[in-house]
Amino acid sequence: MSSEKTPNLIDPIHQFVIEKIADIHIGGIDISFTNSSQFMVISTLAIMFFFIIGLSKRSIVPNKFQMLCELSYDFIANLLRTNVGEQGRAFFPFVFSLFMFVFFCNLIGLIPYAFTVTSHFIVTFAFAGFIFIGVTVLGFIKNGFGYLRMFFPSGVPLYMAPVIIPIEIISYLSKPISLSVRLCANMLAGHSIIKIFAGFIVMMGFFGIIPLAGLVAIYALELFIAFLQAYIFTILTCIYLNDALHPHH
Amino acid sequence: MEGEKAKLNELREKIKEAKLKNQDINIANNQPSPVGKAMKLAVEIVAALAIGIAIGFLLDDFLETRPLFIIVFFLLGSFAGILNVFRVAKSMQNN
Repeated sequence: MSSEKTPNLIDPIHQFVIEKIADIHIGGIDISFTNSSQFMVISTLAIMFFFIIGLSKRSIVPNKFQMLCELSYDFIANLLRTNVGEQGRAFFPFVFSLFMFVFFCNLIGLIPYAFTVTSHFIVTFAFAGFIFIGVTVLGFIKNGFGYLRMFFPSGVPLYMAPVIIPIEIISYLSKPISLSVRLCANMLAGHSIIKIFAGFIVMMGFFGIIPLAGLVAIYALELFIAFLQAYIFTILTCIYLNDALHPHH
Repeated sequence: MEGEKAKLNELREKIKEAKLKNQDINIANNQPSPVGKAMKLAVEIVAALAIGIAIGFLLDDFLETRPLFIIVFFLLGSFAGILNVFRVAKSMQNN
C-alpha cells in the first residue's frame, strides 16, 4: 500500500484542519485564536491596505490601483441599483464590505499554504445566518406584520393554508442554508481537486507534467470561481434585501 | 486646467467606445455554467429537505411523538424543495 509508505503525501482534507494559535478561554467558552481567525484578520488587513494605497492620491485621472478601487465600488453600486433600487443605497456599506471580505478570503485561500476561511461551512453559515436574520428583521420593520403575508400567496384557496404555510416557511428557512452551502461547497471542492492533482504530479514522476498542465488550468478556473462565488453570495444578499423591502404577494 | 479638461473629455470618449465594445462580451460572461446551474438546483432541494427534517426532529424531541413529525415535515420539506427548484428554474428561464 503506497498510502502506508507515504502517509501525508496525498491528504486533500488536511489543508482544512483548524489549528489553535493562541489558546483563549473566557468563562468556559473557547474563543481561541485559530489559523482561521488569522486569515480573517489577514483578509481584513489586505482590504484595508488595498484601499489605503489605492485611494491615497485621489487624482482625477486615476492610476491603475485607484482604478481597481473605483471599479469595485462601481461594481457593487451597480449591483445594488439594479437589484434593490434607490432604497438599496442605505445598505451599500454592508453589501460592499461583505463582497470584499468574501472575495479576499477566497482569493487569499488560493495562495499556497494559505488557509481558506470560506471553505468551512460554519463560517459561511454564520454570514448567511446574520444576513437572513437581518433581512427578516428589516422586512418586519418596513412592512409590519404584513410581511407575514408572503407565507400565504394571494389567490390560493383558504383550505390550502395548513399545507401551504408550512411549505412556504420551510422554503423561506432554507434560504440561508442554500446560500452558505453553495459558497462553502465550491471552495471545498476546488481546493480538494487542486490538492489531488498536485499529488498526481509527484506520483507520476516524469509524466507528472500532464497533471501539472491540468493544474494550471484548474488554478485559473479556481481564480474565476473565487470571484464568481463572492459575486453570487452578494447578488443573493441583494435579492433577499429586495424581497424584504418590496415584498410581492 | 484647460489641458486637463481636454484630457478628461478624450478619456470619456475612449471609455464610451470601450464600453460599447465590451457589452456583448459581458452579457455572454454573466451566464453561469451548466454545472453551476445543476449545483444550484440540487442544493435548493437538499437545503429545504434538511430544514424540514430538522424541524420535525426538534418537534418530535420536544413533544416525544417520534416518528410522527419527522415523517410529516420530511414530506413538507420535499414539497418546499420542489417549490424552490421550481422558482429557481423559473427565474433562470426569465433570464
